[in-house]
This record gives sequence, C-alpha cells and structure tokens, in this order.
Amino acid sequence: MGSARPRRESERGRALPVHVMITFIVRRLTTTIFLLIVVSMITFAIFFLIPRLAGQNAYELAAQYVGRNPTRSAIVQMEVKLGLDKPLVVQYWQFLKGIVAGSHYNDGPSQTYCPPPCFGYSFRSQQPVWPQMVAALPVTVSLAIGAAVLWLTGGVAIGVLSALRRGSLFDRLSMGVALAGVSLPIFFTGLIALELFSYKWALFPNVQYVAVTQNPLLWARNLVLPWITLAFLYAALYARLTRAGMLETMGEDFIRTARAKGLPERTVVVRHALRATLTPILTIFGMDLGLLLGGAVLTETTFSLPGLGQFTILAIQNQDFPEIMGVVMLAAFFIVVANMLVDILYATVDPRVRVALWPCSRSATCACSSRPTMVWSRRWTVSHSTWNGAARSASSASPARARA
Amino acid sequence: MTKPRKLAIAACAVLTGLTLAACASASGSGSSNTADVGPNSNVSFSAGVTGVVNPSSAQGGTLTFAENSTPDSFDPGNTYYSWVWDFSRLYATPLVTYKSCPGSCGLQLAPGIATGLGQVSDNGLVWTYHLKHGLKFEDGTPVSAEDVKYAVERTYDKSVLPNGPTYFQTLLADPSYPGPYQDRSKNLMGLTSVTTPDPYTVQFHLQQPFPDFNYVVALPQTAPVPPDRDTGANYQLHPISTGPYMFQSYQLNSQATLVRNPNWTPNEDPEAKQLASKVVIKLNVNADDIDNRLMAGDIDIDAGGTGVQAAAQAEILSNPSLMKYSDDALTGFLWFAYIDTKVAPLTNVACREAIEYAADKTDQQTAYGGPYAGGAIASTVLPPTIIGYQKTDPYDALTQPNGDLAAAKSELAACGQPNGFTVGLAYRSDRPREVQAAQSLQAALARVGIDVQLHGYPSGTYYTDFAGSPDYVHQHDLGIDMGGWGADWPDGYGFLDELTNGNTIAPSGNTNIEELNDPVVNRMFAKATNPALTEAQETAIWPQIDQQVMKDAVILPEVYGKSLLYRNPAVTNVYVQSYFGMYNYAVLGVSS
Repeated sequence: MGSARPRRESERGRALPVHVMITFIVRRLTTTIFLLIVVSMITFAIFFLIPRLAGQNAYELAAQYVGRNPTRSAIVQMEVKLGLDKPLVVQYWQFLKGIVAGSHYNDGPSQTYCPPPCFGYSFRSQQPVWPQMVAALPVTVSLAIGAAVLWLTGGVAIGVLSALRRGSLFDRLSMGVALAGVSLPIFFTGLIALELFSYKWALFPNVQYVAVTQNPLLWARNLVLPWITLAFLYAALYARLTRAGMLETMGEDFIRTARAKGLPERTVVVRHALRATLTPILTIFGMDLGLLLGGAVLTETTFSLPGLGQFTILAIQNQDFPEIMGVVMLAAFFIVVANMLVDILYATVDPRVRVALWPCSRSATCACSSRPTMVWSRRWTVSHSTWNGAARSASSASPARARA
Repeated sequence: MTKPRKLAIAACAVLTGLTLAACASASGSGSSNTADVGPNSNVSFSAGVTGVVNPSSAQGGTLTFAENSTPDSFDPGNTYYSWVWDFSRLYATPLVTYKSCPGSCGLQLAPGIATGLGQVSDNGLVWTYHLKHGLKFEDGTPVSAEDVKYAVERTYDKSVLPNGPTYFQTLLADPSYPGPYQDRSKNLMGLTSVTTPDPYTVQFHLQQPFPDFNYVVALPQTAPVPPDRDTGANYQLHPISTGPYMFQSYQLNSQATLVRNPNWTPNEDPEAKQLASKVVIKLNVNADDIDNRLMAGDIDIDAGGTGVQAAAQAEILSNPSLMKYSDDALTGFLWFAYIDTKVAPLTNVACREAIEYAADKTDQQTAYGGPYAGGAIASTVLPPTIIGYQKTDPYDALTQPNGDLAAAKSELAACGQPNGFTVGLAYRSDRPREVQAAQSLQAALARVGIDVQLHGYPSGTYYTDFAGSPDYVHQHDLGIDMGGWGADWPDGYGFLDELTNGNTIAPSGNTNIEELNDPVVNRMFAKATNPALTEAQETAIWPQIDQQVMKDAVILPEVYGKSLLYRNPAVTNVYVQSYFGMYNYAVLGVSS
C-alpha cells in the first residue's frame, strides 16, 4: 500500500472526469428504477394481494367505495369501474402502464385522459392522484427545505461548539436541550409553539399555508413555527451526532499532524475536522430530507399544512389504495434520489471518496483487481471510524424520522 | 449535589415551566381574545339553541369555516354528510328545504325552488312540484324542470356518484334505470318515473304511497343540475350554483372559496341569506387547532358541527366569558343498545325489562362524554328533535338514573332467571366512547347477576358482518348490541322505520338488530303510509310506536346525543338548526 499514497495525494483535489460521473449517475438511476418497481410491487401486494389472501374478494373490496346501503348491481358496477374484477397481475400492469403511458378514466359523461405519470384515480374522490400530490408537494417542500436549513446549520454549529468546549456549561446546556429535542414529540412541541406564539401572544397568528408565489412574506411568516418545531427535533439529533463525530475526529492523527504543521486552529477545525465529521452527517441528512419530502406527517397534521403528510393520512384513513400507492412511490423516489445526491456530494466534501471514484485501472485503492471496476462503497472509502459514526447516526435517527 | 444533577434539575424546571405556562395560557387565552363588546354582551350559554344570536342584516366580510376532515363530496347529488347538507344550502337549493329558524320551527319544511310543498295524488303515487319562475343558475341560464329531473337521474349511477342516499331508487317506479351516463343518447332524460309536463312542473311517480316524500325531495339531490354542464365525478369541483353563493375556487380536500352568486335573489330561497362577501372553508384542519382558532377569532364556524374537543370543552365550561359563546345542542342522534328478541333468554320480555331497569344511565352518560358533549339521559327511542317526540319514562331512567335494581330483580324473577343470566354484548372496539359505554353497562348489569360477555368488532364491518348479521348474532349469543342512530329527516318515520319495522329485518346490514317483528308496531307503520291521513294524524302515530317499542323493551335508550358548539362572537344570525343539530350555515353573516 505504500505506493498508493503518492497516487492518492496526486488525485486529491482534482475534479472527476465527466464520463465517470455520468456512468455513476446512470447506474444509480437504473438502480433507482429497479428499486421503485420493487417498492411498487411490495406496496401493491400489501394493499391488493394480502386482502385477497385473507379471504376478501373484489366484490367486498368494491363495496367499501359505494356509499351506504348499496345495491348489489351498484357494487358490481363499481367493481368493474375500479378494475377490481380483473386479475391482480392485470391490475398491476395497468398501474405501471398508467405511470409510463397515462390512462383513461370514466368520469361519467365522458372519458378523461390522465397523462403520465398517472398514478391512477382516487377510489374515493375519483380524482387523478398525481395532480393532488403535485398540489401538496410545494407545501411539503417548503416545510422540509426550510426546516432542513435550520437544523443543519443550527445542529452542526451547536455540535461543533459543544465539542470544542467539551464539559463547559454551554456543552452541557446545549446537549441537555438536544436531549429534550430528541425526546419531545412533534405534536407536543408543535402544540406548545402554537399555544404560545400563535394563540396567546399572536406573534404568528392564524398559521396556515400560503403559496410562496402568492405572498412570499406571509409564506415565510406562517412557516416559521413549523420550521422551528421540526428543526428542533432534527437539530437536536444533528448536534449530538456532530459533537460525537467532532470529538472522535479531533483525536485522530491527521488532526495532530495538521496542528503540528502550524495550521491555525480555525483551519484545523473547519477544513480538516469538520469536513471529516460531515460525511456521516450528510448520509443521514439525505435520508432525513428524502423521508421528509415524502411527507412530514405529524408536523403537517399539527399545523394543518396541506402537504403530502396530510395527503398520506387521508389516503390511509379512506383506504384509498391508488393514493397510498402514489405517495409511497413518491416518497421512495425522494429517498433514493436524496441518497444519490448525497453520494455525489460526498466527493465534494471528502477527498478520500473522490480518490476512490477513479476507475480501478488508475487507482491504487483496487490495485489488486484484475479488471477495471468502479469503486463506490463508503465502507471502503471512508475511514472505519467514520463509517461507524454513520451507522450510529442511522440507527439513532430512526425514531426522529418516525416522529416527524 | 453534583453539577450535572443540578443542570438536569434546572432543565426539568425549565420544561415544566414551559408546559405550565402553556396550560395557563390555554385557560386564559379566551378572556383576552373575546371581549365583552357589541351585541354579544347580553348573550348567554346556549342562547343559540333557542334563539337567534347577533341578528343582523349587515353585509360584507369573509365568513370562514374550518373542518377537521374532508367532505365526501361537495356535489349535492353525491353527499351523505350532514354538515355538507347544511353547507350545500349556500350553493344548491333543492325543491324543498327546511325553515330557517331556531327550535322546533327548524324541523319544518319550507319551499326551496318549488313554489310550495308537493301535491300528492289521491292514490298517493304521484307527487307534483311547481318551480318558481325566474330561477337562474350562476351563469344566468334559466332553471327548468328538466334540470331537476336530471339531478335525480344522475344519482342512479352509483359508480360515478356513490355517496348519496338511495331513496329515489327505492321509492320511484323505475328502479332499474341505470343513470344518464351509460348509453347517454338513450338514457339522458330517460328516467320514466320523473316527468316534466312543462318547464315549471316536476312529477314523481312512486311504486307505493310514501307520505314522507316531501322530506325526500328536501335532500340536496333535487338541487337542479344542467345536463350540459354536468361533469360527472368532477362536478364536485364546481357545482353550478342555484344558491346565494357560487364556487370561485376549490383545491380538493384543502380549501374552497365561494363568492356571491350574482344571479341569485332571495325569492329563490327565502330560507337563505347572502350577507358575507365571501365564504371560505378550510379542510383537513387539526381538530384542536380549529377550537383554538375559533376562540382566537381566526375562524368563524367549525363546519363539522360535532362540537369542540375535550381540551376546549374543559376550557369553555370553566370560563364564563367563553361559555356564553357556546351552545349545547342536541345532535338528533340517539345512543342506545339493541336488546335482541331472538337470543335466549331475552326472548322473554321480562328479561329484557330487567336490563332496562338495571342500566345505570348516569354512567352511560359519562361514558358518552358527559352531559354537555355526550348527551342528555334518554328515556325514549325518539329524540326530542324528532317530530312526534313525547316525553315518557317507562323504566324510570329520568327519576332513577342509577337504575332501579329492585324492579330489575323482580323482572328477572318474572322471566325465570332470578339469579341473572349470561349474555353477549357487541360493540365497536374502535370507538372509545362506545367501549366505555359497553363496560359501564356490563358493570351495571352485574349488580343484578346478569353476566355480560363483551365482544368488540371493527366499526367498518359492524353492521354488515357482526351486529347487523342475525345469523352471527344468534351463533354468538349477542343479546345486546351497542348502536347509534340519526335520521335522514326529522319525523317519526325517518327515525323509527329502519330501526323497528318488522319488514326491515335483513340477513346482512340489518338495522332492526333487535329483530322486532311486533304486529302492533307493523300495523301502525302501515297505517302511517295511508295517503288519506292528515299530517297531524300521521304525527300522532310516532309516539305510539315509540311507546310500544319501549314496552317491548327491545331498545335501551342511553343518551340523546349532544355537542358543545362554539361560535365566533363576530358571526351574525347564528343559531342551531334543529334538523341538522348544528348551526344553520345558510343564514350566517359576519360583523366587521
């Protein structure tokens, strides 16, 4: 491995060749499509196959969507209209076909064409699913992005400061608040925030979503409380993760070397320690943001924001399978894409990743390989301790995501 | 004490302080936000139940509703939610409607777009309605009798409009009509049981006499729909208005905005008003948030009309300045238990009467939410908001609300079970109040030796597969079945028929769960359908049926449903319409 060092050093800081990056993105997109198909199959099986296996037939399924006291012919009519009378394979194929090629729907007086990506029509409202999700998306994006900016900057800053002032009053207080943030559920902190700042002191009265295009100031004002509430939960988590990562990194040899070289402490902390610490943080951030974009259920419910989270709740309450399928697919898409973006960002943040991205024929990291292959595995490119940090983050982040 | 421990205690103190501050603010917020000014200074608790609060003809402003969930549909032909029926009066006027007035007056019918109530033929089979002249849709096109006929036709296609009631399909003489959407060239205006002799006359041809037909045409389903503007399943996004307001925008399940209909005149529906400049309804709003915003004055009315949540209820009832803006309204619902006549030993009326006597009504009331948000102790099958209600108390529910155990034991001895018996009780396990009521009834009956075995079922299939399936009930000895009932129209027939008429017993989806087939009751129902009866004669039959059913001891009335409603002090002309059991949305205004 001794010969690898000069090679790595020479590649550090160099931009990746375009073809390498394109190959990577194409591969990831291919994987994404495959993954989404698997997700769609599993979701479809849960909502359409399992009820059949449990003994519910298409007629009984259709009866749920025909109002009160339906006649037998009305149920049969609905069964045919919803396509529930067809074999499951055909129903699944129609679903996939709708996403790619669109589909037609009988709205009564006429046939309506639903252009791709058509996720079908709601079994309840008989409206196409995709436009409903598109209408809800700006709300969720507004909420998620705003909160993400807050929690990432706030959480990382607090974590770094806490690590640098380990044992100080600031460290203890901030970690105490962080613990509270992780522990308190959104529907508690959200209601407290509403009670104090909206109903009692009216600093943010009548919180409701206003489109940014309609009134940017009102949009921001009405989202301040949801942003802070959501960010409080995540910032707490990120502060603890950053602190742990920084403490670990600050004890590494390369930090001692940097200091020995006489670099200013600010450079040591920001350019060396923080950079290494950010790698696992980015992993979790990608997951969290992707999940939130699929709908921040509790936050949207608490603040009555008509986003994808509320859409999901309503779909589940109504047992509206096409809507559930649609939102699951969209959420899965966001998670996969967010992860892909994070992987790309890795190369920017961590030079070791950039080295590993070079084709094996040019990189010493896989010199033992007989054929040129692409290496894109965090396990091999990121230091063992950092990877463990990421794994810890992932496990500790789960409850937070579940509560969002 | 170590330093970290001190810090932990300090953190706890901060958190506790924050929580207490929030709670304190909750109890005090109302007084700061609802000042005793203007016409509201003289109002009192439940003033809106008996009279009009804040009467005003002032125009302008935005009237804001909020609803915890979403409508089944805003299409007047495709809805079965009572709050949507109330709300739809703002944009859809049926042939007949309800008088806009508080108290029992609000149970009476009044002409909608028709000139009067229906004229029935001598044989009771043809009902004729004449339309007012000069009626217009929101776009200025005239309303004709064919638009009413088409509105009824489209409700036949349950694959497109699945949600609404099915009375027309059941009552009219053309039950196999498929609706106007299938084979449109043939079926458009193809419903032979509705005829339009001229542009201002609609006639309904029934299979058999049905004296309550005026109530059927008072459903939103008879609000006219122009065939060339019908968009089927999409009509909910913009119903063509014949009411004082029309849809300006509607983002599905999020928010709808209605503005004044320029082509509406008070002559079209004297029971509605056009006061506010704009009506906004926000959907899918958190229930607690609705309550807080109501009390903060951000919204005007909770559209759902089912009352405030537990937190706000406690806040309102403990604060006189908030209490005076609230109304304790009867919802028109009865919460009760069926006592099955086909499950031994309840086949013996004395055993059933033992249950009637032994039940603890006070506990039942508490289980359903207490005297304000739960209900008033019930002693009859008909609630007070139903035409034909007569206050009686055959089992001393009002005088001995904790139960008459001596009488219960006496009845047990009379039925040959002096030490009690074992019986199953079905309830909906996903309804917390019903669960509590079932447990309460179990405890009450245990006092006289009746051993009640509880069986919980999901509400979605409760009436189809369990309590509503006589075979299942017999096989599992479910002699007592919890239930709730509200009528589609407020007279004795609308309330009692499905519950107690022997001919409604069905193998699935049974609503006569007690399986009562009492010839006396059946004869009275048959008598009530005689077209020769006057309204007063017909009304006199309902309390007789009620009393006979109570004598049969097949229904254990628990509470007449109530809800605690809160009205923003800025809302004008506000009162509870007895038919809906919530505020009358058709006449509300808002002061500036």
